[in-house]
Amino acid sequence: MIDFIISLLSGTLRTSTPILLAALGQVYTQKSGILDLSVEGTMIVSCLAAFIATFFSQSLFLGMLTAVIVGFLYSSLMAFLCITVKANQVIAGTALTMLGTGLASFLYRAVFGIRELPPVIQSCQNLEFGFLGEIPFIGPILFCHNITIYLALFLVVVTWFVMNKTVFGLYTHAVGEFPRAADSKGIRVSLIRYACVMIGGMYSGLAGASMSLGFMNTYTDHMIAGRGFIAIAVVVFARWHPVKVLGTALLFGGANTLQMRMQSIGIDIPNQLLQAIPYLLTVIILLGVSKHVNFPSAFGTPYSRDET
Amino acid sequence: MNSKYHQARSRLFSLIPSLISILLACLVSSIILLLSGHDPIEAFTSLAVGAFGNSYRFSETLVKAIPITVIALGTSVAFKAQLWNIGGNSQYTIGAIVAVAVSIYLDLPPVFLVVLSFLAALAAGLVFGAFLGAMKARLNVNEVITTLMFDYIIAFLLSWLVYGPMMDPEGFGFPQTALIPKAVMFTKLIANSRLHGGLFVALLLVVFLFLFWKTPQGFSITMVGQSRTVAKASGVKVSKTIIITMALSAGFAAMAGWIDALGIHGRLQDNLAGSLGSVAIVVALLGRLHPIGIAVSALFFSALIVGGNTMQRFVGVPFSLVTIIQGLVIIFVICSNMFEHIWHKKRGGVQHD
Repeated sequence: MIDFIISLLSGTLRTSTPILLAALGQVYTQKSGILDLSVEGTMIVSCLAAFIATFFSQSLFLGMLTAVIVGFLYSSLMAFLCITVKANQVIAGTALTMLGTGLASFLYRAVFGIRELPPVIQSCQNLEFGFLGEIPFIGPILFCHNITIYLALFLVVVTWFVMNKTVFGLYTHAVGEFPRAADSKGIRVSLIRYACVMIGGMYSGLAGASMSLGFMNTYTDHMIAGRGFIAIAVVVFARWHPVKVLGTALLFGGANTLQMRMQSIGIDIPNQLLQAIPYLLTVIILLGVSKHVNFPSAFGTPYSRDET
Repeated sequence: MNSKYHQARSRLFSLIPSLISILLACLVSSIILLLSGHDPIEAFTSLAVGAFGNSYRFSETLVKAIPITVIALGTSVAFKAQLWNIGGNSQYTIGAIVAVAVSIYLDLPPVFLVVLSFLAALAAGLVFGAFLGAMKARLNVNEVITTLMFDYIIAFLLSWLVYGPMMDPEGFGFPQTALIPKAVMFTKLIANSRLHGGLFVALLLVVFLFLFWKTPQGFSITMVGQSRTVAKASGVKVSKTIIITMALSAGFAAMAGWIDALGIHGRLQDNLAGSLGSVAIVVALLGRLHPIGIAVSALFFSALIVGGNTMQRFVGVPFSLVTIIQGLVIIFVICSNMFEHIWHKKRGGVQHD
C-alpha cells in the first residue's frame, strides 16, 4: 500500500510537469489580457522541435533550447494576430493550434519518413541527490526525477517573483486590467502584451520539450492530447497565482496518475472512462469556480487607442 | 433596382477576401511542399483528381460535404452570437450515438425508426447544447474550454460504448456496434456510390438557417453577438438567447451525426467524428457565417479532405498538409478582415458586416 502511495505521488509530480510549465506561461499571457488557445499548437510544434534537435545533436540541452526558441517564435504569430491584427483571440488560437498540429505531423514525416520502429532518443535521466534520495517516503517521491520537474518547480518561484516583485509584473497587471489608463501613463500596451504572449510561448515550448524529452523518449502526433487546453483552465482555476497554479497542476497530474495506476492494477472500471477523468475534472472545476473568478477586465479584448 | 444591383455587387466583392485567403494558403503550403522536397504541382493535381477526377470521386466529395456543411451551420449559429462553440465533434458524436442506439435497439417499423432516431438525436443535441449554454449563461463558465473538454470526454464515451455495452455480440470482438437495419438507412442516390438522401436533408437545413436569420429569434441571436449591452437594453433576454443559441448550434451538429449514421456509417465505431469539428470551424469562418457561403466552403474543404487522401496514397505527400491548409486559411481570413477594415476606413465608408 505504501509503495502504491509513493508511486502515485511521485507519478503525480511527473505527469503534472507539462501542464504546470504551460500554465505558468499562461499566467503572464492571461494577466496581460489575452486568452491564448494556441498553447496546444505551440506545445505540439516545440515538442517535435525538441525531439528533432536532440535526435540529431544527441544533446538534451540543445533540444530544450530549440523548443524554447520555437515556442517563442511560434507564439509571435499569435501575438501578431491578436495584438496587431486585433483578431478574435479564440479564432486565432484555434487556427494556430490547427496549423501547429498539421505542421508537426507533416514535418515529422518529412524528416523521419515512414519507419518500422519509431525513432527514439536517450531521454532525460533522473538526477542523483545522494543521501536525499535515501530518505524514506520523501526521497522516492521528491528526489528521483529528471531535470524538467525541478525546472518547472523553479519556474514557479521565478514566475511569482516576476509577477509580484518587478515593474514588468506591475505593467502586465495594468495592461490586463486598465489598458487605457496604462496607455495614458506611457506604458506601451502592445509591447507588454507581445512580451507576455511570447514569454508564454517560451514556457509552452519548454512544456512541449518536457513531453518528448522528459516524459517520453519519442514523438507521436497525439502526444499533447489537450494538455495545453487543460493548462488554460488550470490558470483560470488558480486565479493567475503561480503557487496556486502549482497546486492545481498537481491536482490534474494526480487525477491522471490515479487513472493510469488504476488501469494497471486492473480495477474494474473501463479504462476509456478512467481516461476521461482529467477532462471531466476540468469541466467540474470550472463549473465550481467560474462564477467567482474575476478575469482581468480587459481579458479577451484587443486594445486600440481610437476606440472608446 | 439600383440598390439591389449595389447589394449584389457588394455581395460579390465580399467573396474576394475568401478567395484570396484560399490562394495564399495554397501558396504558403506550396512553399512548405517545395522545402520538404515534394512537387507542389504534382501534389495539388493529384489532390484535385482525387476529389473531382471521376463521378465516383465527386460523389465521395459530396458525401463528405454533407456532415461538414451541417456541423458548420451549427458552428455559425454560435459564432454569430460571439459564442465560441468549438466542440462540433462531441455534438456530432452524440447525435450518431443516439441515432444508432434507437435504430438497433428498438423493434419498430423502419419508417418509425427513421423519424424516432431523428427526433431522439436532435433532442439529445438540443439538450446537450442547452446544458453548455446554461453553464455559460448562468455560471459564467468559458464555453471554449467546456466545448473543447467535451470533445475528449465524448470521444472516450464512444470508445467505451463500442468496446463495451454496445459492442456487436456477433461481431467477433471488433470494436463496433451491430449494423442498423438496411431499411432504416438512407437510399443511395447513385448506383455504386455512397451518395445518399442525406444530401437533401443538408440542403433543407441550409435553407432553414437562411430563413431562420430573418425571424425575430434569429435577429436576437445576431444582436447578442453584436453587443450584449445593446441587446439587453432593447429587451432581448440575453441569458435565454445564449442557451437557445448553444442548443441550436449543438442541435445542428447532432443532426449531422444522425445523417451520417443513417447515411454512411450504419453503425458506431471508435473515433467516428475524425476532424469534422475543426473543419467545420474553418468552413463557417470562410463562408463568413452565411448559410450559402458555408455550403460552398464545405464543398471546397471536403474536396481537400477526399483529395488529400488520394494525394497521400499516390504521391506520398502526408495528409497533414490539409490540416496545414485549414489553419492557414483561417489565419488569412482573419488578416483579410483587418485589410478590409483599413480599406473601408480610407474610403470613409462604414463597415457593413
